[in-house]
Amino acid sequence: MSAPPSGPVTREVTPQIVRWAVAGLALVWAVPFWWMLVAAFRPAGSTADASLLPSLAPTLANFAEAWASADFPLYFLNSVAICAGILLVQLVTASLAGYVFARLEFPGRGLLFGLFLVQLMLVPVVLLVPNLKTIAALGLYDTLPGVMVPYCATAFGTFLMRQSFREVPRELEDAAMIDGAGWWARIRLIYLPLTKPALVAFSIVSVTSHWNEFLWPLMVINSPDKRPLTLGLASFTLSAEGMQAWGLIAAGTFLVSLPLLAAFLIFQRRFVNSFLASGIK
Amino acid sequence: MISWWKGAALALVAAAGLAAPLPAQATDIELFFPVPVDGALARNMSGLIKEFNDSHPDIKATPVFTGSYDDTLLKTRAAIKAGKPPAAVIMSANFLTDLSIEREIVPMDDLIQKEGKSQDAFMGQFFPALLPNAVIDRKVYGVPFHNSTPLLYINADHFKEAGLDPDKPPRNWAELVDAARKLTKREGDRTTRWGLMMPSNYDYGGWILEALTMSNGGRYYNEEYGGEVYYDTPTMLGALTFWSDLVHKAKVHPAGEQKGPAVTGAFLAGQASMMIISTGSLTFIRDTAKFPFRVAFVPMNVRQAVPIGGASLVQPAGLSPEKRAAGWTLIQWLTSPEKSGWWSRATGYFAPNKAAYDLPEMKAFLEKNPDAKIAVDQLANAKPWFATYRTVPVRKAIEDELQAVLSGKRQPKEALAAAQKAAAALMRPYVEDTALRLPGAE
Repeated sequence: MSAPPSGPVTREVTPQIVRWAVAGLALVWAVPFWWMLVAAFRPAGSTADASLLPSLAPTLANFAEAWASADFPLYFLNSVAICAGILLVQLVTASLAGYVFARLEFPGRGLLFGLFLVQLMLVPVVLLVPNLKTIAALGLYDTLPGVMVPYCATAFGTFLMRQSFREVPRELEDAAMIDGAGWWARIRLIYLPLTKPALVAFSIVSVTSHWNEFLWPLMVINSPDKRPLTLGLASFTLSAEGMQAWGLIAAGTFLVSLPLLAAFLIFQRRFVNSFLASGIK
Repeated sequence: MISWWKGAALALVAAAGLAAPLPAQATDIELFFPVPVDGALARNMSGLIKEFNDSHPDIKATPVFTGSYDDTLLKTRAAIKAGKPPAAVIMSANFLTDLSIEREIVPMDDLIQKEGKSQDAFMGQFFPALLPNAVIDRKVYGVPFHNSTPLLYINADHFKEAGLDPDKPPRNWAELVDAARKLTKREGDRTTRWGLMMPSNYDYGGWILEALTMSNGGRYYNEEYGGEVYYDTPTMLGALTFWSDLVHKAKVHPAGEQKGPAVTGAFLAGQASMMIISTGSLTFIRDTAKFPFRVAFVPMNVRQAVPIGGASLVQPAGLSPEKRAAGWTLIQWLTSPEKSGWWSRATGYFAPNKAAYDLPEMKAFLEKNPDAKIAVDQLANAKPWFATYRTVPVRKAIEDELQAVLSGKRQPKEALAAAQKAAAALMRPYVEDTALRLPGAE
């Protein structure tokens, strides 16, 4: 996993530089989170909005107002339902499609796979209206499944699983075949256990992107009781005219990102290992 | 007058209900609304719709929050294409021309006629300055809901400190620059207080530039025809050069893109002594400012003129007659003098319905808050908000150049030529289909 130092010279300087560079990057990434925390606890109306120093008189008033502004428990459930629903279907479709592209020989496989990858290059905004038309025709307008359906097939997931499956030694599968294992048993007992890091890494990418998504749920959802967290947050923090209440926005954002932050902290080691093993960074 | 409206509208809905196979069923409708001002208003809107539903048992309206003005346009268009149009939308007033050209919204004249009213009588309820953005090709496409104009806000304490009279705010550009110079504070190379700030983010920048251009005698766009803008003109060159000079020569205005909320924030924090922003922020400023402030008309160079802003209620194409009638009831209820006045006091937007200002609660409010009266008085100078075919990209064509000029990357003259060219390319399809479609050329 970690590259061993190759010589005495690099041992002296390079690790130091790298360590400082990483620390600097970590700081850059941490500042917005720190600011969010500081702003969330700052009393409303204080003038030092941009300051990174915590307020001397921290307050929970911003959280109280944010909590009262939106039905957070319900929005939380909606977000969880959307992310879990999408992920479950994606894991099945991505691993099956990945297996097909990795191991089955059929004419036009390369072309088909290429077409699949084209999806990665489309800007999602282009698909808004066509997707919405399809959703409406299926009777899924203004429903949670309507938010999930377009993500059932995932080009990124298929690509990732194909690459991971190809690294599994073919001999293992051959041995299983000799023992009479069908395709389903081979995927379940050989491929999936060996590519767990890739599955975990893909799950994280999928969950975070759908947890944070705004535009597509905004298009599909009308009923206030079906809003995911992002829409609920936006409904009281967006403002084109008038000043933004930064304390309130920070508190709301903190509430929205808290579940993901907590999950990451708990499973941190496992996540990092998965990313290293799957080669996504 | 209101009860008569309501009665007529209810009768209309009842008639529609009788004609339908299943009578006595409440009509479900949706109202798309953006959040143009402080977020707490999203909750006020929900309360307003609840009041409507309680007083109209045969209609069940759902308020649907739809993001910014631009997101609301995107969502409305997508919903229309998906066959799920909402019964009413609070739409930025300058999108109506584009929506009517694309036939995505329908005129409401038949609904007005059914009540035995003439178009003039119906639209006569509203301030005349609002009509050009609502009545297109002599048809009523929108009913004004809340409207604004740009306004000069000044910090009275800073004025006194700089030896200026806060009761005599700058009236013209010369006085504006003079005051801004006196108000700007520097420590070495660093500016600690800006004399003047104006927002230049998307949507806001184009509007403020239009205000300056109009104050300079210009028109910005052709009010009669949706395929023409006047970007590369002397009036706009003067306006843009003036803004550019405030930044780069007088150095009394910060460089680069300034977002609306940042401008408001700087003013409230005492880091800017004057700002030109929407009347829609007036209530928020009044509630938040910890210092005395005054408001005044936008200073002029050639004439006193400002564009209107704000939003109108529109009805998309493709609605069933029942939903359309129910949406119409909601639109009339929301634009009635009482509701219009209530929303105006909550936001700072002025009430488009003139009768709102005859109500005792509004008179008492203006008595107590004379600044709100200045916002209404400025309506005498108000002109329409620029609206063309493909309003948003055409607007962005000039806003991109404006931001480049404020950052010092472009000179005003070349910026305007580039914006004009980009806008012409965007409007080309419409122009070729209308003004340049000539008989005898086939």
